[in-house]
Amino acid sequence: MPEMAFLVRRLAGAVFVIFGAITLVFLVLYWLPGNPAAMVAGDGASNATIADVQAQLGTGRPLLVQYGSYLWSLAHGNLGTSFATGEPVSSRIWAQLPPSLELTFCSAVLVVFLGVTLGVLSAVYQDRWLDRTIQSGVMFLTSMPDFWLGVLLILVFSVKFHLLPAMGSGSFRQLILPVACLGLKFGGYLERMVRGSVTDVLHDPFVTTLRGKGLREFSILFRHVLRNALIPVITLFGVLVGQLISGVVVIETVFARQGLGRLVVDALGTKDIPVLQGVVLFASAFYVLFNLLIDLSYVWIDRRARL
Amino acid sequence: MQSTRRHFTSLLGSAAFIAATAGRARAVPKPGGALSVAFDGTTVASFSLDPHGQYGRFAPQARVMRSIYDSLVVLQPDQSVAPWLATSWQISPDRRQYTFQLRQDVVFHDGTKFDAAAVKANFDRIQNPANALLSLPQIGPYTGATVVSPYIVQVEFSQPFEPFLHNLSATGLAIVSPTAVAKYGKALGQNPTGTGPFRFDSLTPGSEIQLLKNAGYQWAPANAAHQGPAYVDRLTFSNVPEQLTRVAALQSGQVQVADLIPSQNIAEFKADPDFVFQQKEMLDSNYALQLNNSKAPWDDKDVRQAVKLSLDIDLIVRVIYLGTIERAWSPLSHNLFGSAELELTGSWQPNRALAKSILEARGWQLGPDGIRIKDGKRLTISFLDTQGNREQRLDVMQLVRHQLAASGIELSIDSQPMGNYLQKIENGDYDLIAGAQYTPDPDVLRYTFVPQFRSIIQGGTINDPQLNQWLIEAAAEGNPVQRKQLYLQAQQRIIDQVYAIPIYILRYNLAAASAVQGVTLDTHGFPIYHGASLGNA
Repeated sequence: MPEMAFLVRRLAGAVFVIFGAITLVFLVLYWLPGNPAAMVAGDGASNATIADVQAQLGTGRPLLVQYGSYLWSLAHGNLGTSFATGEPVSSRIWAQLPPSLELTFCSAVLVVFLGVTLGVLSAVYQDRWLDRTIQSGVMFLTSMPDFWLGVLLILVFSVKFHLLPAMGSGSFRQLILPVACLGLKFGGYLERMVRGSVTDVLHDPFVTTLRGKGLREFSILFRHVLRNALIPVITLFGVLVGQLISGVVVIETVFARQGLGRLVVDALGTKDIPVLQGVVLFASAFYVLFNLLIDLSYVWIDRRARL
Repeated sequence: MQSTRRHFTSLLGSAAFIAATAGRARAVPKPGGALSVAFDGTTVASFSLDPHGQYGRFAPQARVMRSIYDSLVVLQPDQSVAPWLATSWQISPDRRQYTFQLRQDVVFHDGTKFDAAAVKANFDRIQNPANALLSLPQIGPYTGATVVSPYIVQVEFSQPFEPFLHNLSATGLAIVSPTAVAKYGKALGQNPTGTGPFRFDSLTPGSEIQLLKNAGYQWAPANAAHQGPAYVDRLTFSNVPEQLTRVAALQSGQVQVADLIPSQNIAEFKADPDFVFQQKEMLDSNYALQLNNSKAPWDDKDVRQAVKLSLDIDLIVRVIYLGTIERAWSPLSHNLFGSAELELTGSWQPNRALAKSILEARGWQLGPDGIRIKDGKRLTISFLDTQGNREQRLDVMQLVRHQLAASGIELSIDSQPMGNYLQKIENGDYDLIAGAQYTPDPDVLRYTFVPQFRSIIQGGTINDPQLNQWLIEAAAEGNPVQRKQLYLQAQQRIIDQVYAIPIYILRYNLAAASAVQGVTLDTHGFPIYHGASLGNA
């Protein structure tokens, strides 16, 4: 069962990466100066109150003890309790997660759609006017900061034409502008990769052979070229999804959406360590699992990758 | 000149107010409908609408709480207090006992009757150290309350505590339902239950708060524009920290009200007939710079003076806020009881030549790059900051840097997350900090300047026995004239000794679609939606 061994190896690697991320975040946050108890107790709290809070939180204990108890509760499926609100971290993440996932998923779909369609068009019509137009558009979109693109979209579609809501989350209409913003920008990155990759494959000798055999250009492109061209693109798409997650954080702020972005910024400001650990754990798990799925997808796309 | 202009502006303001009220008196507001407000709540992931709790001192959420909770008394523009949930009160001759007669028709949103026991339960809750509530300093030396009869409660202090009535008028001591406290405990903030014109419906953590009209509301404060329930059925607060988005949401009609309109958009909203813009000073300890005077060379009053004389604060405030707010002369904002704003206006002028001669006399000579040097040490001010550019404060500091450089003083900005910030304050590892705090009473000076009452977050290293004595005395002084005098002296000293360099007087502002009527700003500078309606019938 070579596939099984491949899977186990990848899974073990994934667990190792996630464990490393947890440990790193734990250490970084505890080495930072500042007393979390003082922040939990808040503005105007007396030193006695701060001491009480510190006892409740257990932040006065030695580092190793805190790390050990964190891993122990993690092993029991417990992400800990938020310093700031006293709620379980998992429920705080859960409360903010759906809008972020929705935004990430819809943006990723748009990224793939725009990236692949425009990329293939660009490669096929290379150096013709269509390619040039697409390339200038992509250059424009990818060089613009995403928050700025977001503000421009709001000014045009909300303020000027009153077509779409400028902010908020919950409805499909409120999703359109943020998804457009992320989809256009990251779709631009993907388009460049697809264009490059498809161009390379189009120059491969086997394509000439296929043409010589009299296959239709459409069939060459979609049955043979795309399948080969997509492998490097999919690897890069895995990396792009990581960037998309950080883009989501920014875009959520611009469009005043509910989501993990708020949670992260808030938790950073108040040094809410358990929440930050929870979010990092979640984001790294998501990223690692996503890339694991991508690794596995090679097997489906290209039989040569079966090990 | 300054004060004449201010008087003229306030005269204009009152004329506009009278005209507006006269207009409103003829028109009958249309009941019903939903009002949406986009507010600057900063980027947070949760809301806590417990007025005594962690966010009780956090203005954006306290502004929302004002619609949910009522207070025992209401603050009037002349800084006196008038009846609200309390109909009258007597203060004992030794000023240690307050007896309140309460309204008998008030009901909490959960059906609990509002009475003397409920008031006592509120103060006892705040006093209990196990609850670790932020409103604790606001009840001062509170020792307990007695239920004299169902609607008479007697509040006792171990020594006179004059800020009490002012503090009662603010959301920090608003009255919460004791039944809800028993039921929800620490989760009261997610299940706010008061007696206010709107009751809590639902919230989405960090992004939205939905309130519904309290149909039985008959106990608006004495100075309210109308008695009886609110006009709109639903009131939605959306947290939109990004200012461009907040403005866009209002301009696109997605919301009807947006607050904290940035300076550069104010003129536009004022000129646009589709919107009504209003603003009011927040009762505040003004945003002020505080040098670390336990550290050389800032322990030398004359060097602090040289820093102050290098600054043209009029120019800074005019350039950054485009004339939308005024510069501050005193530590306390202009409208706050005891403010020395009028007394201190024009009390000093920028004088770079004098600043230079002071520094040169102290041995600080100009170095090759224009920054002064003494014994090989550069004259550098490290400004410790954690707030970022809220209220355009870092823009202010850029101009401060520019002006100080002209005197040969270098300013560096040390931006830190809250944790590092507190650590650096604790270690005294900074030269300059700056901040403001909203408050209904000048007692805020005691928490800022008297060491034993100061919390870490307020920072500062000042310990001046004379100032301490005045501020402690003032908190207990029963004669308002003498009390005010103590605060005037204290502020004079703070300015003379350069313990603080006040920069600007903050105004809270909001813009509303012109169809929206009756949104007002109370004496604290908090928005009141009780009288808001979506037009006239």
